[in-house]
Amino acid sequence: MSIELLLALITGAALFGIGVYGALSQTNLVMIMMGVELMLAWAMVNFVAFWRYLHPDNPAGQMFVLIIMTVMAIEMAVGFGVAIARFRARGSVEMEEATELKG
Amino acid sequence: MNLIIPAILAPFSMMMLILLLRRFPAALALMGAAISLLAGIGLLSNAFNGMAGELILPGLPDMPLRLIATPLTALLATLVAAIGGLVLVYAAGYMKQDSEKVRFFATMLLFLSAMQTLVLAGDWILLLAAWELIGLSSYLLIGFWYRRPGVRSAASRAFLTTRSADLGLYIAAFILISHAGTNDIATTLDSTGNAAITAGLLLLVAAMGKSAQTPLHDWLQRAMAGPTPVSALLHSATLVAAGAILLIRTAPMLPPQTLLVVGIVGGITTVVTGLIALGERDLKRLLAASTSSQYGLMLVAVGAGVPLAALLHLIAHAAIKSSLFLGAGVFQHARESTAFADLKGAGRDRPRIFVAFALAALALAGIPPLSGFFSKDAIIAASLSSPNAWVLASFALAGTLLTGAYMARALRILWRGNRQHRHIPGLGWMTLGLTGLVTLAVILGATFPSIEVLLDQSLSGNPLAQLLGLSAALIGLALGRFIPGWRLLGPLLPWARQGFAIAGSFDTWVVQPAYAIARACEQLERGLYNGVLAVGRAGLAMSRAARWGDERGIDGLIFSLVRGVHELGNRARTLQSGLIHREMAIMVAGTALIFVALLIGLSVY
Repeated sequence: MSIELLLALITGAALFGIGVYGALSQTNLVMIMMGVELMLAWAMVNFVAFWRYLHPDNPAGQMFVLIIMTVMAIEMAVGFGVAIARFRARGSVEMEEATELKG
Repeated sequence: MNLIIPAILAPFSMMMLILLLRRFPAALALMGAAISLLAGIGLLSNAFNGMAGELILPGLPDMPLRLIATPLTALLATLVAAIGGLVLVYAAGYMKQDSEKVRFFATMLLFLSAMQTLVLAGDWILLLAAWELIGLSSYLLIGFWYRRPGVRSAASRAFLTTRSADLGLYIAAFILISHAGTNDIATTLDSTGNAAITAGLLLLVAAMGKSAQTPLHDWLQRAMAGPTPVSALLHSATLVAAGAILLIRTAPMLPPQTLLVVGIVGGITTVVTGLIALGERDLKRLLAASTSSQYGLMLVAVGAGVPLAALLHLIAHAAIKSSLFLGAGVFQHARESTAFADLKGAGRDRPRIFVAFALAALALAGIPPLSGFFSKDAIIAASLSSPNAWVLASFALAGTLLTGAYMARALRILWRGNRQHRHIPGLGWMTLGLTGLVTLAVILGATFPSIEVLLDQSLSGNPLAQLLGLSAALIGLALGRFIPGWRLLGPLLPWARQGFAIAGSFDTWVVQPAYAIARACEQLERGLYNGVLAVGRAGLAMSRAARWGDERGIDGLIFSLVRGVHELGNRARTLQSGLIHREMAIMVAGTALIFVALLIGLSVY
């Protein structure tokens, strides 16, 4: 295993850790979504790293990452839409208060 | 047109009409009886001209039902219709204030048409059917006032006694039919030998039941519980007469041994029931006992081999006894009772009724020139001419003596006492019917020679018989007039009052065993019933167990599964807090677990 791949994986793992911590520790919906984004970023870093290491000739991997980024953007748009709607309805996006869906 | 049809169907159709219209019952009943009487007279005049009517109806295979109008049956049909009609005239007055006239007159008409069928029947099957019908209708009539105490048991007793004796008629009919191969009565009368002896004795049993001969005489006195017109009809021309008519019709077949038995049974009855009548404390019961006694005399005549004498006495007795009963009915209305204690002097209130009653009583005792004299004379002459003259003649003379005694006793009690005048509703109709019957009772003796011509038989006149009969009747009357009945009876009085019950009579010899059998049957039935019930209970228990198994077993299993799922769902629900980070933490922990599991799995392989 080359140093570059290991470096990329460690960077990704760090990103994932930060993302998990962020998602779990924050109560604000926007901050939680940012944590989730970091976790997704870890996935993409790993993807690109393995592509580069295993199949550098095949461009499909790069295309895949581009599609994931598009999906991320859409997901963000939906997430922020929800946040704005909630803010307008309740005046807050604190998730401690959002327990209406409790079973 | 065959006159047999209206003779039987006129009363029957009028009965149906009464039941349908439910009004004018007395008028319709009289019309039915009148048409029947006209038809009877027509049949009789045909018979005089030598024309015998016959009507053959389809019946059982090879056994058609026959109705015949021979001189004998035509005469009896006329008698039945005449007496029945006059009794119905009387009943129109007697029942004036009864609320159930419809039922009364309808049943009376049923009775009349059944009796006409019986006398006109030419074959055994129809005779049996009519025999049953008169039994049924007499049961209904005796029990007419079924709400009064004792009436139902009297009706049941009459029905059961005659019904048990009827078995004799059934067996006799079977024997005769199988012996002769036909159900025609005239043909079966040619039977001889053992069949004739056995059948004759069985017929005697049936006749003993219906004609209330000793030892089956008890029911007749109890049958007095019915209305008085019913008693008059029962005792004169219908139910009780049926037994004597049966023997008169079958007399040609009876061999000498059977005839002797018939004569002895009749003789014993005439004496025993005569003594009972002498000790009786109730007018109607006295008359009932006297009926048994007179039918005993008829049986003596049949036993002496002269059924014609029995027939003449039957005819005379029919008119006499119905007039006696009708007179008694008037006294009953006047004093609301038939006990002699209440009837003392009742004759003085209504002298005309008393004269009619007395005329009938003297006719019964056998005083010339009333009808009873000629018929009694014929019976005594017959008994004197029979081979067993000393037995039968002494019975006949004793019976005549007793008749005079008890009739004189009744007259004495009715005349002596205080007057009490009371208005009797419907007296006009009652007097009309009574007058007709008493007239018959007085003049019927004049018709006997023409009856002899009609039946083509003649009775031998016997001066000795006339002398003996008349002196017996006069002695009897004198005894009854001057000496009270209880003194005449002497030591026999308690016996007579109990109806000559030997060791408890029927209650001990028949009723108790019958009760015992009934109890045993009841025990058996109860056992069977319990057995069946136990089977049913077992079935019920089984089905209950099955239900329990269904409910607790199968249903329980399914319900517990449902409850388990429900419980699990409840538990799972609490996991959903709605807090995003908690759920996220669970998710992360879960993912971590899966990751660890994967690592372990990978390292193992």
